Amino acid sequence: MSQTITIDPVTRLEGHGKITIHLNAQNEVEDAQFHVTQVRGFERFAQGRPYYEMPSLMARICGICPVSHLIASAKACEAIMSVRIPHTAAQLRRMLNLAQMVQSHALSFFYLSSPDLALGMESDPATRNIFGVVAAKPELGRAGVGLRRFGQHIIELLGDKRIHPGWVVPGGVTEPLAAAKRDEILAMLPEAYANVGLALAWYKQIADGFKPEIAVFANFPSLYMSLINEDESLEFTDGTLRLIDAEGQTIEEGITASRYTEVIGEAVEPYSYTKFAYYKPLGYPQGSYRVGPLARLNIVKSAGTPQAEKELAAFKQLAAGPVSSSFHYHHARLIEALYGIEKIEQILADPAILDKHVRASAGVNRLEGAGQAEAPRGTLNHHYKVDENGKITWANLVIATGQNNNAMNKGVLQAAKAYVKNGKFTEGILNRVEAVVRTFDPCLSCSTHAYGQMPLILSLVSAEGEVVDQVVR
Amino acid sequence: MKPVGMVQPAGTVKPGRARCLILACGNTLRSDDGVGPWLAAWAQERFDPQAGVSVISRQQWTPELAEDVASVETVLFVDCAMDLKPGTVKLVDVEPVDETQGLATHHLGAAELLGLARALFGSLPRRALMLTVGGGSTELGELFSPPVTAALPIASAKMEDAVARLMRGE
Repeated sequence: MSQTITIDPVTRLEGHGKITIHLNAQNEVEDAQFHVTQVRGFERFAQGRPYYEMPSLMARICGICPVSHLIASAKACEAIMSVRIPHTAAQLRRMLNLAQMVQSHALSFFYLSSPDLALGMESDPATRNIFGVVAAKPELGRAGVGLRRFGQHIIELLGDKRIHPGWVVPGGVTEPLAAAKRDEILAMLPEAYANVGLALAWYKQIADGFKPEIAVFANFPSLYMSLINEDESLEFTDGTLRLIDAEGQTIEEGITASRYTEVIGEAVEPYSYTKFAYYKPLGYPQGSYRVGPLARLNIVKSAGTPQAEKELAAFKQLAAGPVSSSFHYHHARLIEALYGIEKIEQILADPAILDKHVRASAGVNRLEGAGQAEAPRGTLNHHYKVDENGKITWANLVIATGQNNNAMNKGVLQAAKAYVKNGKFTEGILNRVEAVVRTFDPCLSCSTHAYGQMPLILSLVSAEGEVVDQVVR
Repeated sequence: MKPVGMVQPAGTVKPGRARCLILACGNTLRSDDGVGPWLAAWAQERFDPQAGVSVISRQQWTPELAEDVASVETVLFVDCAMDLKPGTVKLVDVEPVDETQGLATHHLGAAELLGLARALFGSLPRRALMLTVGGGSTELGELFSPPVTAALPIASAKMEDAVARLMRGE
């Protein structure tokens, strides 16, 4: 008799999801699915709105990475306006996006994943949370809180709000940077460096203790995609997209936002509201790829900042080609946080950073526009069509979590096959299966565009379709 | 009903070594849930930061606020409570707890924030109070329900009295 295991809800994620593990008649894992069970509909209700409202509207998709949506949306609007924004505005947006990346990576690493890393996958689930981490490693807890405050405070200084700042608009930003705010950010840098340094040193010390997890946490060859600069360094806000194969060879580059749909397609599966992105020339699902910190570090040739450069060189030693285990997303996240702090310091040293000219203006000059940016969890593309009055007639958003969807599903299956034996699972096994999804730091609300809430469930389903075991959190 | 959407939630005032921190929570787009931010905005106009009263209003209380809580002499938490009769105003002492049943990533309760402040920074306010207003509706909307609208003067007066007591060292 075959069975199904359900984990519902999967915990410590941004949003709500469910995992189903199907067993065959021999009680071996046959298949596994990660379901995103929310539905929202931003693309639909944007229709009829003026294009210049889109950045603020679209930022409401997410409370964690609204800045990325703001930026991708504003860039799509600027394509409609046919304007290039002032240099200082571009630099300020870049800083805002980096600040968001640092605070989001801090949330993912310290709040969501460090309980597993600091306390162990099999530790008591009642204390496997931020309180448990603080009790066991108070310095780590303080570093996490400090890094998150660092990113959030910069967002608040620039945009006047920690969440959903309205400062980024089509054409640039609404206000230039004041000298006092620049100095306040500069004063926060030493503590931010100390906090990320502490976390990196600690992580590198404990990572070897997770070799079994590294081996089966979505550890397989795949394609990778991210933005990259002309000098092949990290880029979160501008640049163009590059796709590499499992050996690290470039298979597509120079992908601008407007070319995105030529290269990337989206498939639909009946068990999830999140779409499944794929590289069109290879088709679905062979063209599945990964985005986010692991992809970015696998693709770039250099970090672009001195301290992150050293860490990147060490990271690339983890494999002969691209680093393939998704467990290493954790490591990549910390390196990117270090890069973000360094890059913010570099941006603040730009002599034009206090320039007052920060916004270009224009009306509708094209009836279609697309914009792209790197969100903390991966590439984000906004694509709009408007009528001659600038009202949105069509919108499509391709979100990082959708682009990682196939890899997450494959990763859940790989971990389930490794850990679920004889049709039974313990709490520790359940946690490991969930932890595979956590490595990707998916944002489920972003990916589905959610109506209502659904907690995370893990179900074990027999070959006859009977749910024989279930854990609901 | 009062159009609370006309009142912006209070921004952050870096508390420093404030003698009293008013820490409010709520969503101004979910009708009665916006009563915390409304009271925070009222407090920001009413109390002089120079006198040692600071105000922070957030949609949710996140772990980073533990540092703010740890750095003040006293704290007054302000929130909407759906387990109270709509319009009821309640003021109680809050004690720290050292664990959370929730995930502690996007939202903490007042007792958990105090517990986290103690665990992370080894410091607690001398006294912590919690002012709650019973909510009748958290449906989408920027207007309060009639019971909450009627309770606003009572809640404001109770807040003023609570701050005065905390500042006197009670």
